Amino acid sequence: MNPELRFTDVVAQARPQKRKDDIRNFEYSYRAEITSIYPLTDKETLYRIQIVDPDERRRFSFVPGQFIMLEMPGIDEAPFSISSSASIRGEVELCIRSVGNLTNFLPRVRRGTHVGIRGPFGTGFPMQQMHGQNVLLIAGGLGLVPLRSPIAYVLENRSHFRDVNIVYGTKSPAQLLFTYQYEMWRKDDIDMDIIVEKADQSWKGPVGLITDPLKDILSGRDTEFYYNTYAIVCGPPVMFKFVCNMLNEFHIPMQKMFVSLERRMHCGMGKCCRCNVGSTYTCLTGPVFDYWTVMNLKEAI
Amino acid sequence: MAESRTRTYLGVPLYRPRVAFFEFSSCEGCQLQILNNESTLLDFLSLVEVVNFREAMTERSEDYEIAFVEGSITTEEEIKRLKKIRKNAKTLAAMGSCACFGGVNQLKNRFRNPASAKREVYGSHPVDSGPVRAVEDVVGVDLRIYGCPISKDEVEKIVLHIAIGKSIVVPKYPVCMECKRNENICLFEFGEPCLGPVTRAGCDSWCPSNRAGCWGCRGPAEDVNLRQMRKIMEENGFSEETIIDRLECFGGFLSLMKPERGRHG
Amino acid sequence: MIFRVFEKEELKQLFDILSDHNRVVAPVEAGRDGSGRPVYAFSDVREFNDIRLNHTVTKLPAKRYFLPFKEDLATFTIENDNWHKSIAYNIEQPFILFGLHPCDINALNKLDKVLLHSVYPMPYYAAKRKNMFIIGFDCIPQPYCFCRSMGADTALHGFDMFITDLGARYFVEILTDTAYNFLRHIRTEEPGEDDHILYMKVVAERNEKFTAHVDTTDLAKILDMEFQSDVWKYWGDRCLACGTCANVCPTCYCYGVEETVDIDLKGARKTKMLYSCNVMDFAEVAGGHNFRPERHTRLKYRYYHKHRGFVEAFEESLCVGCGRCGESCLADITVPEVIASVRGSGRNE
Repeated sequence: MNPELRFTDVVAQARPQKRKDDIRNFEYSYRAEITSIYPLTDKETLYRIQIVDPDERRRFSFVPGQFIMLEMPGIDEAPFSISSSASIRGEVELCIRSVGNLTNFLPRVRRGTHVGIRGPFGTGFPMQQMHGQNVLLIAGGLGLVPLRSPIAYVLENRSHFRDVNIVYGTKSPAQLLFTYQYEMWRKDDIDMDIIVEKADQSWKGPVGLITDPLKDILSGRDTEFYYNTYAIVCGPPVMFKFVCNMLNEFHIPMQKMFVSLERRMHCGMGKCCRCNVGSTYTCLTGPVFDYWTVMNLKEAI
Repeated sequence: MAESRTRTYLGVPLYRPRVAFFEFSSCEGCQLQILNNESTLLDFLSLVEVVNFREAMTERSEDYEIAFVEGSITTEEEIKRLKKIRKNAKTLAAMGSCACFGGVNQLKNRFRNPASAKREVYGSHPVDSGPVRAVEDVVGVDLRIYGCPISKDEVEKIVLHIAIGKSIVVPKYPVCMECKRNENICLFEFGEPCLGPVTRAGCDSWCPSNRAGCWGCRGPAEDVNLRQMRKIMEENGFSEETIIDRLECFGGFLSLMKPERGRHG
Repeated sequence: MIFRVFEKEELKQLFDILSDHNRVVAPVEAGRDGSGRPVYAFSDVREFNDIRLNHTVTKLPAKRYFLPFKEDLATFTIENDNWHKSIAYNIEQPFILFGLHPCDINALNKLDKVLLHSVYPMPYYAAKRKNMFIIGFDCIPQPYCFCRSMGADTALHGFDMFITDLGARYFVEILTDTAYNFLRHIRTEEPGEDDHILYMKVVAERNEKFTAHVDTTDLAKILDMEFQSDVWKYWGDRCLACGTCANVCPTCYCYGVEETVDIDLKGARKTKMLYSCNVMDFAEVAGGHNFRPERHTRLKYRYYHKHRGFVEAFEESLCVGCGRCGESCLADITVPEVIASVRGSGRNE
């Protein structure tokens, strides 16, 4: 009798050390339900998405800055920064602007629709490292979406931080997101500056660039302040480039500035190469990078 | 059909447009492709409401949202008819190489003396046929369905995407991608000319898979390097005549070529 | 490692025994090119005589057997507002790759690093990789082979057995017990000192035949320094952005995912398609922004990923020097020439 090779079932034989090594995870998605749909502006909608299975819900946790892949079968799958508090398990809030197939389809679905989510993936902001320090939370435009998760962390752990400033800038007042939350943030001893590039008739606040209020915050502090300050900067590359350069002029260490890069991803797991910057996987090494690393990445800014 | 009006995909109501098919100067082979979809024809028809399709039905209506236009435009009468269609349709889709680029028909624009050519073919019989134009040279076009003939899969996908509200995308890359996926040996290896490296994919490399070099019926891919392509053809020993014949055949590359012979003779 | 030698006619016997109950994939002659030279390809084989063990290099690597050009990652059944997802890894039976050259074995070892041994191992790849029985075969270096520069001219692991032609007999390295047990079905013997000497002579003679070279000294650093160099524009002007280099590459694994709905709306699928970083929309995002809109930036990225990023991550480059990309490139862009030009010498000057 001539020999026959035996079939190897890789999934059955897998001996994962941790979740990331578990071969079953690759295309495995949590079935999740869109429990709430809340329009924020004419283009952006906030979705609350909850994992259906109670056990899975308990196991699902993330850190601020991480992203998930959201899938609508047959429509598309795309990465989204988690925009909600990491202390809520099994549930995420995503703020989504309609620009592609998935994001144009989502506003048309009903509450209660099931979607697939995979993740969480990528690196997060090192919130615990920032304990005992001053924190600058800076967002331009849609950058407030990923920033909202570290803001939630700071609010929930306010006693662990010294001075906390939120600086937020958009092109116009109509683009301001989460306007209903500003009062709450301010009440917890957080300074919040909002600036728009172009005012409309109702706008009473300052007009200019995001670096204007930032300069006021940073000017005239002692070296001890600069040395003990972390910054999280979320927004388009031109914005974080200017902001980080200013922070750098005030001698805030580049390794204490964190930015989040946005790229198209098809897998989120370091395989498809679509999100590579230079030759670094945004989905594995990022999306959160310290600014020193970003300076060393080709094509990042 | 009342049932299909309320159809949904994952809870989202489908859009079921009224569509009409029209033919101008062409072989009408593209429309035939749609009817050829025997296994999926019923599914296809359930996604749209066809109100005008001469090859398949006798009823006519001018109340439609999407007009699929096949063929190139060669006469004054056609121009008038096309403009009327444009007025009626919310979306006008140019269907096939003739509609998109003039197709094989536009080769006649190469004749320096079209009158004598006409005499040669039709004798003294009067024929109303002027220079060949693509649909977009006469009216605005919202959607282009490439190919000679069009591929049935692509039309099905377009209609499906309209129904569920996905954007309509065609490959931006050239035929080489599909040709390699089909594991073909490059036709240049066999010493045959091929426009695969510069032609828009989406045909699943139909011709190269059957060992016939690509003639560029789907027009240029995006960001093509036509200058380099011509250089490569030359280096592979193909004459200027061979290269230009290929590039001019369906008219898709004319806009990228220097006005060597000019589009209108 | 266990070594054996066997008479040449035993190889057919081995093939017949293996192919009796197993699927065998091997290099065959797929046709002749315009000058009458054979063109080789991997294909399912039933007859030993169809195999071309003296094949130079196949136009396409054996990649499609473990990284298919197109593969469904998941399928969905749609029922009203609800959906159900099913996943299949798209392999039903193990198979034998008969006659893989060292470069292609090394390519698999490199792919393993990303697809098997990094975080998030990929089951679609793993399922196929773990069900491949690999019989390596030595080769005759061709003018375009620069595997020696890439350290991929010999394979130390990643195969079950590796056969070297000693002229009169075959010399075989055995890495797995499956291979060992297969070989018990044919007549083999322990190699003697003469065989060892002959083996070393054959290997030395083979080494003499390499003509193409790439200087990889400090390459990762030099690529970084020359990021803004004009040489990239020179090559970008030639590049057709057709994606052929990636499609014929045994180590390129990047891909795109597309979701489609069946025309009857009763099903949907998520399909993975191998992509190429040289094609126009590789780095395009929803909304239309393209991070690498120009040909030269995409071509440069490909070299960066292979010769810098992968080196940073795994201390080796993502290139085995098989020369397929250069051979298939209609624009005649070859790795040795591009790298030489980045190093400041070559054609572009």
